[in-house]
Amino acid sequence: MSLHDSASSAAGSSSGSSSSLSSSKPPPSSLQQDIVRHLAGAGYTIRSSDLPQVAQRLERLETAMGSSPADFFQLASDAILYNPSDLASWVDSLLSEFTQLPTCCFEFILAPVDNAWTTAELHEPRVQQNITYEQQSLDRQLTVVTAMEEDSDIRLVHKLMACAECVQRGDFSSATSLIDDMQGLLARVNTVCGIRKVAGHFIDALSRRIFLGIGGGSVDGCGSAFENEILYHHFYEACPYLKFAHFTANQAILEAFDGHDCVHVVDVNLMHGLQWPALIQALALRPGGPPLLRLTGIGSPSPDGRDSLREIGSRLAVLARSVNVRFAFRGVAASRLEDVKPWMLQVNPKEAVAVNSIMQLHCLLISDPTLNSPIETVLNWIRDLNPKILTVVEQEANHNQLDFLDRFTEALYYYSRMFDSLEACRVQPEKALAEIYIQKEIRNVVSCEGSARVERHEPLAKWRRRLSGAGFMSLPLGSNAFKQASMLLTLFSAEGYSVQENDGCLSLGWHSRPLIAASAWQAMPEPGSCVSCLE
Amino acid sequence: MVQNHHRGCHRQDHHGTVGENKEKRPKFFINDHVDILIEILKRLDCRSLCVAASVCRLWCTIARYDSLWENLCFRHVSPPPSSVRSVVLALGGYKRLYMGCVRPVRSRLGRIRKASWARDEVQLSLSLFCVDYYERLGGGGNSNGRLVGESSPSSLRFLCKPVNV
Repeated sequence: MSLHDSASSAAGSSSGSSSSLSSSKPPPSSLQQDIVRHLAGAGYTIRSSDLPQVAQRLERLETAMGSSPADFFQLASDAILYNPSDLASWVDSLLSEFTQLPTCCFEFILAPVDNAWTTAELHEPRVQQNITYEQQSLDRQLTVVTAMEEDSDIRLVHKLMACAECVQRGDFSSATSLIDDMQGLLARVNTVCGIRKVAGHFIDALSRRIFLGIGGGSVDGCGSAFENEILYHHFYEACPYLKFAHFTANQAILEAFDGHDCVHVVDVNLMHGLQWPALIQALALRPGGPPLLRLTGIGSPSPDGRDSLREIGSRLAVLARSVNVRFAFRGVAASRLEDVKPWMLQVNPKEAVAVNSIMQLHCLLISDPTLNSPIETVLNWIRDLNPKILTVVEQEANHNQLDFLDRFTEALYYYSRMFDSLEACRVQPEKALAEIYIQKEIRNVVSCEGSARVERHEPLAKWRRRLSGAGFMSLPLGSNAFKQASMLLTLFSAEGYSVQENDGCLSLGWHSRPLIAASAWQAMPEPGSCVSCLE
Repeated sequence: MVQNHHRGCHRQDHHGTVGENKEKRPKFFINDHVDILIEILKRLDCRSLCVAASVCRLWCTIARYDSLWENLCFRHVSPPPSSVRSVVLALGGYKRLYMGCVRPVRSRLGRIRKASWARDEVQLSLSLFCVDYYERLGGGGNSNGRLVGESSPSSLRFLCKPVNV
């Protein structure tokens, strides 16, 4: 190290001169000012008059570290993190810790640092080296203090990326060996928190892709619809994403239905119908009395012949009856959304129609040139219904890129944020099942291709373009929806959730990175169409 | 009979503390005046009301009147339209609404309480209450075990856990 060299060479020339250092304080040379500026740029504050002492003490620290490595590591693991940006005090405090340890006596090298620096011939590069020396010793100490865990996290992420890249290239043998490495790494560290939990799921998905092939996801396919519903239900309870989706969509629909006496809601995927009790109650209490509400729920046919749609419908009817809302339910069983035709929904031209899609439209984004694009088919029939409002809630992520590595990277960061937000959930069986729900999504994004991959999330900007292109115009969500969403989030015990408003759309995120976005649209009136159709 | 026993105790106390010239004064005994009792209990907060419910059987019965809990729910809010009452009663009553939804919602939102949120708090509580009712419908009436493991409605569980404020 250059500083050391210059110090040892200069030590011979002037010895025992600590007094000389303290007595004469020359004005800070331009060199020292440069150093101070460089350090400030790196985030460390130091006075130029302190530079010599700090340099000295850093040397002492390094010697102490070198001489007693075992003690140092013990110190590091229970070290309190000092504020490293104030270099002088930080070095002092660390050094005082050291001098309490029974280290062997070290050479106190009195480096007349001033002289060394000013007498250097190539002082420009040396200045750089001096700085990097100081920074390196600082960095070294900092990384050891925050321990091995971060190191293994970083290694895990790098290995995951490398593995994904191998998979993309088709190099399955190195991918397999990387997977073995990672599994070994995971086995050695605590997988409870941080990126490691999510990493486990990604490793699993990658190995499925390698060993089962890209249609491999369809082996357990949709799981059974029954299992999916249970997982969905627990996901609903463990975290606020679905609640946010439901409440925001309901608020928008309620506002759109203002003044109408006959209203019809089409739910693109009924599931348990958990969204609708709140809307029924809000309609019951609206000033002016409740309208006649018709609900059409679309869902996949149940494999064992039970008419689950009818069951949900009758439950909702019981609820509506108790609160005196005239209610009619119709179920449409369709395994694919693009098979639904407008006539199946039996929309009355005089009623106000709302179409609600919670995380369903992205499944239609399969871009197969031989088929009619499913998303266009569906958006067309929605448009033909002439809805007063179309509520769309989708994951705010870019998981539909053609390039596998890009998709993998995006998914890794998106799902690790989602898992972080799930950590805050205390409700135990729900949390574990919610994690399984998310894990299925991860599996689908990473290990499936073609028609098997249904989780084709796209960000809000793309949805905006797509929906505007299909003849819809944006309906801003309003301050009531925002207020309600903020209140809802406050009820959840985690501190990191946030609602953001983005040009009329609301998004819910974890630590201000949006994870799910809700928007509302209405059919654009056709140019030149007759007035009666506009209503 | 609880009331006579109380009366007896009351008389004895009075004997001991005051003096014999007080015996002729007619005694006011709150349990004889249920309407006054209701007026008083109406103004209590939740905790005091629950404590009051353990005083005697009469108080316990009165503390269960839904109108008292209705007051609690709408205490800081202007009185709602009358249609709300029928809805709430249909969904399970004010006491259940208060204990299940309004109380946890109020306590959690309390740290960032804004005056304008009072009405919205109640509305949000009502919506959550409705979802809970819907789940209760499913658990009880559904015999084919559709939602396995959903024997108790759990949509409000996120409100029950202690908050890390």
